[in-house]
Amino acid sequence: MKRLLFGVVVLAALSAGTTAQTPANHETDFLTRIRRLTVEGRRAGEGYWSPDGKRLVFQSEREPGNPFYQIYALDLTTGDTKRISPGYGKTTCSFFRPGTDEIEFASTHHDPKSKQYQQEELDFRASGKTRRYSWDYDPEFEIYTYAEKTGKYTRLTNARGYDAEGSYSPDGQWIVFTSMRDAYNRTLSAEEQKQLEVDPSYFAEIYIMRADGSGQKRLTSVAGYDGGPFFSPDGKRIIWRRFDTTGLIANVFTMNPDGSEVRQITDFGAMSWAPYIHPSGQYILFASNKLGFENFEIYMVDIDGKKEPVRITYADGFDGLPVPSPDGRQVAWTSTRAGGSEGQIFLAQWNHQKALEALKAAPMRAGVR
Amino acid sequence: MKRILLVVVVVFSTAVSAQQTAVASRTRPAVEFLASDRLEGRDTGSPGERMAGDYIAMQLARAGAKPLPAHRDMFMPFEFTAGTRDGGSTLTIRGGGGQQAFRDPEQVQALSFSDDATINGPVVFAGYGLVVPESQGFGYDSYAGLDVKDKIVLVLHYFPEDTDAKTKAALARYSDLRYKALAARQHGAKGLLIVIGPRSPNAGQTLRMTSDTALSGSGIPAATISGAVANAMFAGATKALAAAQQELDSGNPHVPGFTLPSQIDLTTKVVRERQTGRNVIAYLPAANVTADRPWVIVGAHYDHLGHGTRGTSLAGKEEAGQIHHGADDNASGTSAVLAIAEKLATTPLRRNVMFTLWSGEEIGLVGSNAFVMNPPVPLNQVAAYLNFDMVGRMQNNKLAADGVASSPAWARILERANIAAGFDLATNDDPYQPTDSSNFNQAGLPTLFFTTGSHPDYHRPSDTADKINYEDLDRIVDFAAAVIQATANADMAPAFTKVDPPNTGATLAGVRVTTGTIPDYTTEAKGLLLAGVVGGGPAEKAGLMKGDIITEIAGQSITNIYDYTFALELLKADTPVKVVFMRNGQRREVELTPAGRR
Repeated sequence: MKRLLFGVVVLAALSAGTTAQTPANHETDFLTRIRRLTVEGRRAGEGYWSPDGKRLVFQSEREPGNPFYQIYALDLTTGDTKRISPGYGKTTCSFFRPGTDEIEFASTHHDPKSKQYQQEELDFRASGKTRRYSWDYDPEFEIYTYAEKTGKYTRLTNARGYDAEGSYSPDGQWIVFTSMRDAYNRTLSAEEQKQLEVDPSYFAEIYIMRADGSGQKRLTSVAGYDGGPFFSPDGKRIIWRRFDTTGLIANVFTMNPDGSEVRQITDFGAMSWAPYIHPSGQYILFASNKLGFENFEIYMVDIDGKKEPVRITYADGFDGLPVPSPDGRQVAWTSTRAGGSEGQIFLAQWNHQKALEALKAAPMRAGVR
Repeated sequence: MKRILLVVVVVFSTAVSAQQTAVASRTRPAVEFLASDRLEGRDTGSPGERMAGDYIAMQLARAGAKPLPAHRDMFMPFEFTAGTRDGGSTLTIRGGGGQQAFRDPEQVQALSFSDDATINGPVVFAGYGLVVPESQGFGYDSYAGLDVKDKIVLVLHYFPEDTDAKTKAALARYSDLRYKALAARQHGAKGLLIVIGPRSPNAGQTLRMTSDTALSGSGIPAATISGAVANAMFAGATKALAAAQQELDSGNPHVPGFTLPSQIDLTTKVVRERQTGRNVIAYLPAANVTADRPWVIVGAHYDHLGHGTRGTSLAGKEEAGQIHHGADDNASGTSAVLAIAEKLATTPLRRNVMFTLWSGEEIGLVGSNAFVMNPPVPLNQVAAYLNFDMVGRMQNNKLAADGVASSPAWARILERANIAAGFDLATNDDPYQPTDSSNFNQAGLPTLFFTTGSHPDYHRPSDTADKINYEDLDRIVDFAAAVIQATANADMAPAFTKVDPPNTGATLAGVRVTTGTIPDYTTEAKGLLLAGVVGGGPAEKAGLMKGDIITEIAGQSITNIYDYTFALELLKADTPVKVVFMRNGQRREVELTPAGRR
């Protein structure tokens, strides 16, 4: 759950203890005909659209014998779902490659210990013990593509350290992704070594490569988890989120595909992440826990981050990973609004006009350059 | 003939009015007819119920459904007890050289579930008559060390009065009178007497006979006696009744019972007024029937509360006795099943689809129970049961599907069907719901139960046809037809998974108060989410409203409806308690004063 992260960190009470006036629920201004898309299995999340808007590729834990995510593609016309990943190991973060029959995702299935880990996790669950959610940043994660016509898997990365969170440029020729290889390809200081044991995501940086895996190049080099990169609809910018070194504060940034012209978009002093640019190119949807450490809501902000973000969702628990459809008229996102602690994917009609009006009416952000 | 003629006329008139209002809903005509004044609330066994049954059979036939193989018509009658009264129970105390006889209902009266019998013998006082199963990890057994075999047991009503909330909570769930009767019978007692102790509410009074739809007794003569009769039995005992109760009320589980000095003769007689209700059952035959469990059952109850005289009415004082229209409960589900039958009639099926419209649901799932006890098709030939109860009040696109854990096949089928239907589907694993599907779950069949949830008109005359959301009810029909089709046409019947019942014996029988809350069953919440509050009830007076989530009442934390039912057992009427609840994510507190239950 790459783009999804509740840290391993103890969830300290960051939430404000004040009794602020609860704002009125404006969710239906922007989201109508809210519906639940996924039902099967323990959890599902991170749904990304096919370029024609007819399918959604997502991760879900839904098959007996594997307690980790696998990748599935859902046909919104027929309701049929098929598994894309091999069915064993851990997988995450899928994306359709525009103009082809390929789907990209990250997987550990080449690890000979994959099935052993599955059994260990199942045994752990059977023991009745529970743990806080944690994403283990398995260093075996590598980026793969799956060709739907031939059923062939192609491995694109080969560096020790978590390689995942990949997404394509609109022309399908480039992949931006997250890698923690920096923690494994050099000698770490004693302090860094300790950091690696506590939280390897500290070493995560944004990389870019060609769609065949060649020309891998690092774009960021700031300590703390840089991750969840996506291209803008015109392919000219990359949007991602950057955590500080504590792993508690994150903000949305954009940059050019060569790493230049970095621009900070959000400044909530909270965990603002999972950004995605609306196909109009005019604004960004993202998630933040500004209102309480475990209460993530979806917000939107103008593309340059000059104005105050506008709140979109009003539900307890988790609402995040918003992804607008290619025509900009629907939004898929991951939410715990159906109850329990595990997310499922929801879908709603998106009111682009209302969104533009709300952004226009939003006040300028204090201290904006 | 005359009745059927009348129905035809009515059907025509409702169809016309539906057209005039320009809403071409498939479900509206049936709801409007079933919920009309003419059917007077469709009380089980009433003329209105007969008329509804006739209408349903006609609509099923019109859709192309047939009577079951080897059945001439679609009606499956069942007998039930419409009312119970004492038939002249008597009790005579013999001892100390004299004897005292009692026959006044104020002194002795059979319990509604009593066997008819004449017995005599010594009486053993067994405290509160509570037995908590060892599995509960809470040691309490009123019969420990007592020999009651072939003796008559006298026990106190309720549970120890002065104990802490935790102990009360552990004991309350085993204090139902039927449970006490079961415990007495299992210990070999040949009779059970109940007295309300001098330290309990309504001290010394005999219990009013409650309605009980069972056709016969529960295997033991059982009667309620007044405090005076009990005191007479205690004459000459080592301890008076009041002293014995006081000792027990501390909650000490080791206070022993003892044999009373007197012998008694007891005659119990319960007069049960038998009536007949009718299930309406038809089916669509499969074209190419599969061998693996070749039946799927789709059902809804069509009975309702009549004029609300039988006890589960929530009518306020000003509307008491009026027709309870039951448009949502459950003309909506009935209408949905009829529309589903019509839709599936043109669909190729690999399993026979049986449509069961139940009566007797409101008086205790009696119609569906009669079916399960004596099924016209062996239950091992049935793949699944799907139930529709209160599906007419959809809000915000939200539909609940309960019992999803009863088969591993359900989640897949629901997810796929919902891609086209597009509901905000709220799934709930628990198949133990207060509706007909629970009878099938207990019989070992996978079940699904669809509902749009409760509302402030629930079980009140104001549950009328004009309040039904027909547009979304029609969408539910399409969705349900897809789910049923997927079930009926699957190669393998869905496997059954037994879900452990929620760990509580809390029953409304033990609840002595009302808070006037209407739980929302469609949304899972950490607490009791309110779908509304009863007008003028304690919750409304306390300022609670729809959308509030109760998380604590009287110091008991609430995580679900069972916790809440359970906590209610511990409340006292007119004694204010603190209620903690969440509103818009904010924790709030309020004082609520429960009212006594009628």
